[in-house]
Amino acid sequence: MKENVLSATVFTLLLFLNTCLLNGQLPPGKPEIFKCRSPNKETFTCWWRPGTDGGLPTNYSLTYHREGETLMHECPDYITGGPNSCHFGKQYTSMWRTYIMMVNATNQMGSSFSDELYVDVTYIVQPDPPLELTVEVKQPEDRKPYLWMKWSPPTLIDLKTGWFTLLYEIRLKPEKAAEWETHFAGQQTEFKILSLHPGQKYLVQVRCKPDHGYWSAWSPATFIQIPSDFIMNDTTVWISVAVLSAVICLIIVWAVALKGYSMVTCIFPPVPGPKIKGFDAHLLEKGKSEELLSALGCQDFPPTSDYEDLLVEYLEVDDSEDQHLMSVHSKEHPSQGMKPTYLDPDTDSGRGSCDSPSLLSEKCEEPQANPSTFYDPEVIEKPENPETSHTWDSQCISMEGKIPYFHAGGSKCSTWPLIQHNPRSSYHSITDVCEVAVGPADAPATLLDEAGKDALKSSQTIKSREEGKATQQREVESFHSKTDQDTPWLLPQEKTPFGSAKPLDYVEIHKVNKDGALSLLPKQRENSRQPEKPRAPENSKEYAKVSGVMDNNILVLVPDLHAKNVACFEESAKEAPPSLEQNQAEKDLANFTATPSKCRIQLGGLDYLDPACFTHSFH
Amino acid sequence: MNIKGSPWKGFLLLLLVSNLLLCQNVAPLPVCPGGAARCQVTLRDLFDRAVVLSHYIHNLSSEMFSEFDKRYTHGRGFITRTINSCHTSSLPTPEDKEQAQQINQKDFLSLIVSILRSWNEPLYHLVTEVRGMQEAPEAILSKAVEIEEQTKRLLEGMELIVSQVHPETKENEIYPVWSGLPSLQMADEESRLSAYYNLLHCLRRDSHKIDNYLKLLKCRIIHNNNC
Repeated sequence: MKENVLSATVFTLLLFLNTCLLNGQLPPGKPEIFKCRSPNKETFTCWWRPGTDGGLPTNYSLTYHREGETLMHECPDYITGGPNSCHFGKQYTSMWRTYIMMVNATNQMGSSFSDELYVDVTYIVQPDPPLELTVEVKQPEDRKPYLWMKWSPPTLIDLKTGWFTLLYEIRLKPEKAAEWETHFAGQQTEFKILSLHPGQKYLVQVRCKPDHGYWSAWSPATFIQIPSDFIMNDTTVWISVAVLSAVICLIIVWAVALKGYSMVTCIFPPVPGPKIKGFDAHLLEKGKSEELLSALGCQDFPPTSDYEDLLVEYLEVDDSEDQHLMSVHSKEHPSQGMKPTYLDPDTDSGRGSCDSPSLLSEKCEEPQANPSTFYDPEVIEKPENPETSHTWDSQCISMEGKIPYFHAGGSKCSTWPLIQHNPRSSYHSITDVCEVAVGPADAPATLLDEAGKDALKSSQTIKSREEGKATQQREVESFHSKTDQDTPWLLPQEKTPFGSAKPLDYVEIHKVNKDGALSLLPKQRENSRQPEKPRAPENSKEYAKVSGVMDNNILVLVPDLHAKNVACFEESAKEAPPSLEQNQAEKDLANFTATPSKCRIQLGGLDYLDPACFTHSFH
Repeated sequence: MNIKGSPWKGFLLLLLVSNLLLCQNVAPLPVCPGGAARCQVTLRDLFDRAVVLSHYIHNLSSEMFSEFDKRYTHGRGFITRTINSCHTSSLPTPEDKEQAQQINQKDFLSLIVSILRSWNEPLYHLVTEVRGMQEAPEAILSKAVEIEEQTKRLLEGMELIVSQVHPETKENEIYPVWSGLPSLQMADEESRLSAYYNLLHCLRRDSHKIDNYLKLLKCRIIHNNNC
């Protein structure tokens, strides 16, 4: 039974559907509201697109409700907007309020609803095009002729009260041209055009838009014929300007041709090249570092990449007959805030670049010849230095100021490195200079590079002396530990006799005797010195007494009375060179009976003097 | 004595009466009670500046809303949740030209000031929250920052205008309070996006309102309804 009922129902439904299909009658398709526009912010209109007809007369109705209301309304006006539209009059239009509207299509067979549309009149504003566009050619007597166009705003827009604000845009083109020339006219209702082609027929159009909204359509085109006698006065002016400038150009070209080279030289002075003896720029270009270095006298320099660490103030200790101490103002490094003491010890101070063995040994002949004068008050020295070490200047300048303590007019040579810096400063200078010349280096060089880097970095922190010294001391250790392998590249150049006044010598520990005496091999020259005064041993362990000099310029040191020293010396032979230099420095400081303990900071077995302490002692 | 006193009395009386009569004939409150032509020019400049600012602020708000919608919420029906979501809807703002023309000048100005004041806090929180977002959209953040800045300037300008046009106006700090911060910070992304959408939607609308009102007032006050 159930099956029968079921099948009967299905049958009738199908029959019904068939009859409908045969008749071509269906419920209407889904309509869609596709556009709403307000021309003046006081009324608006919405248009919908009907769905499929269904073959029967279909009624459409638009229903809406507004934000903040619950009541549903129907469209007040289906006619004004044309077919399938709904027009909302002034009393039905509210700004800043969302309308939720929907179209309902109904026919005999059924009805269908469109989707809900959320509309805010604020954002659907699009005015009509401007009206009454008039264009004319005006040719005032004593002024240039121009095209004058004028229009009026579309109707129904209230500009007077400021409810609506319109902005205009015009465009024109010669009749046959393809591209329009567009001009924005702002809120004004007139416009002037000055540049026109005489004898042509122009089309002009205008459109408008609200301050916030859509552009209107373009107004219908207005035609205007430009008379042939429309003179462009500008052209004569431009022609004369062009002729004048051509004449001037010719004159300039002629003058340049006559005095070409000298002018060019005047404007573009030749760039000075590096004046390093033995420096061959071509080798540098080719990248043959070995050849270049050998030409320069260096060997296998590792590159260090950061020169800015070399903001270090070096205290140079000189071995001159005067043996006087001077304070030096380092003007190049005010940030350091130090006044390194001018010492004239014998050897161990690195006299900056000039005394470095290697590169500019020849160049530094003059300063070396007169050590005392060279290391006289820096104030006097400075002017001298540029001449004597101008090569350094140029070279150092070519380093792009990356080694600031080098440049600035020869002061680098008169820069006085800190005592403990001396060995390294020379090395660093060599390193850096040669580095610049060479470029990237290979493995052995990198060791030095790292040491150099660390040293450089440490030297940069010179502001806190203790800290700096500590690091420096460490660096010296590490440096020397590495440089031992790199001895070959430190070319001993000046093997002056024992006891010469030449400063800045580094020594290398040759061997350590069983009783703790060190035999030293000077790296540059011998650092044979007077026996050193025994020091009040706080933690000192580095001062040794030179017991004698062997042949080959090897120094034999005996440790101090204190066993500590012995132990210390035996500990790290590497510390000896700086220690020895320290010895010499301190020997020269014999004038000062008391070295304040704070002046000596010991780290890692090295004892360094703080030049500032000596300064205090001086004053 | 009497002879001396009475002419003086009469003279004083005459003076008093004439003053009263003159006071009655005085013109309606001038635009610049302080007098002087210089004041008129200053007010015009103030209004021009205010209109430029309000126009700019609405452009920025519109762009910010469009970018936000395009990027996060397009086609997801968030607009349905914006019904009655603006915190300034309690203010009696005119909604068409006729209503706007019926409001008196003083109320109109204080209405604008109230709307501006009520947006100080939401804008501040908008900037803070957008800035604190992971992958904060730079375009939206920069606009929010700019809108916040310019709205403050506009408020200052409006207060200046009010002090010139209606100097006797008492400082009335009442304005609708925004309490949407918790919804901007919600964990659920859908709710949070909806909160932002509402905020930007309301900002776009209110900035358009202020722009329109100021243009109306400018034409009314400066150009005497003859723009």
